[in-house]
Amino acid sequence: MRKYIPIAVLVFTVYIVFSGSISPYDIAIGIALAIGTSLVVTKYVVQDSKKALSLRRFIHLIAYAFYYLTIAEFKAHLMVTRIILSKSMPVKPAIVRVPYRAKNEYTIVACANSITNTPGTVVVDIDTEKSQYYVHWIYAVGLEPEVTYENILKDFEKRLLKVFE
Amino acid sequence: MRKYIVLLSIVLTTSVLAYITTYLEAIGLVGLDTRYLAKLFLTLAYNPLARELTVLSPEAVTSIVWDFRGIDTFYETVVFYMAIIAALAIYRGVGYPSIRSEKGLSIIVKVVTKLLIPINIAIAVSVAAHGHLTPGGGFQAGAALAVISVLLAVVFSASSFARVGVSLSKAIALRTVGLLAIAAVVFVPVVFNALTGVQAYLMQNYVKVDSEFAFPTHIQSQLISGTLIWFNLAEFLAVSFGFFVVFMLLSLREDVVREQLGEEHGH
Repeated sequence: MRKYIPIAVLVFTVYIVFSGSISPYDIAIGIALAIGTSLVVTKYVVQDSKKALSLRRFIHLIAYAFYYLTIAEFKAHLMVTRIILSKSMPVKPAIVRVPYRAKNEYTIVACANSITNTPGTVVVDIDTEKSQYYVHWIYAVGLEPEVTYENILKDFEKRLLKVFE
Repeated sequence: MRKYIVLLSIVLTTSVLAYITTYLEAIGLVGLDTRYLAKLFLTLAYNPLARELTVLSPEAVTSIVWDFRGIDTFYETVVFYMAIIAALAIYRGVGYPSIRSEKGLSIIVKVVTKLLIPINIAIAVSVAAHGHLTPGGGFQAGAALAVISVLLAVVFSASSFARVGVSLSKAIALRTVGLLAIAAVVFVPVVFNALTGVQAYLMQNYVKVDSEFAFPTHIQSQLISGTLIWFNLAEFLAVSFGFFVVFMLLSLREDVVREQLGEEHGH
């Protein structure tokens, strides 16, 4: 029973926000829809409902969102802005291997999307067998796995491991 | 020189279009009452004072689509239904092969898509359930829901349909239920007339000059606009699973289809 809660909450929230109404009509349809959708979809989407309902993990997620949208994005934008504004255009582009430690697919995907959404780095491919991303890096400081991990992934992964792993 | 030619042609085109749209009154002169029909629809869509003329839906487009020109929309839905029957006839006897490799796109796309599917369902149902209140309606919601079939086929694999319990026959059944539900709403007034003797017309939504028949317009204080909500929900079912059928058929590989169709379609 508990395992159906995460998707039901997601669907109900999306329905109400998208409809922009909290009339009894919408709350009734929202609840029925949330239950129905969750019954069908949960087994494909939720791997571990305890994790999805954990308050500690949720707080870590909020903290990560805050870190990502402010500090990480600011640092990445600053770096790219410097490159754009400098006369000599100091780029050193390369596609580098970045090894990851995450095992859970949600961690792997959240890390990959975090890398792609910050300017300067884009995940172009992923090798799940070797546990590594292939990342296009606008200013490749080094090509060694330790260097790329340290510079591109570490800050995201150590935080996201607390959310999903 | 080229610069002047470009400039001249821009000025010329703009002048010609301006002349056509204003002095030739191609879209009506501002201030003149040339948009009478539009005004009529807008004033009558939701107007409790014009009791015998109104649709009682603040959404003018849905009012037109399912009431003012409701029979037209009914036949449009039938045409869509027939088109899918034609598609099924071309693919007759072709089934999904049970064992196929499932590769699909990268884990990144798969995980994001998995999360988007319940969100997609919520939005599609919202668009259908508010068709009589806000822009949208059954067809739009159906198209939105059918996106899921494309996502499944492209992101995962055509064989993922079977894995999540979606089959051609189920999709065909659901779209038939949708169309039958539309037909049922169309005939309710006629049955009502036969049973009670009260004057009522085919596809009637709200009271007319000589007929007091009306679908329920409210559930408690919530406006449901008579037939419109039922038409939208039924159309949602018919269209979404109609598209499901087509997209499922189109996602079959050509060699699989040819193999199953046999020689006659060969070369």
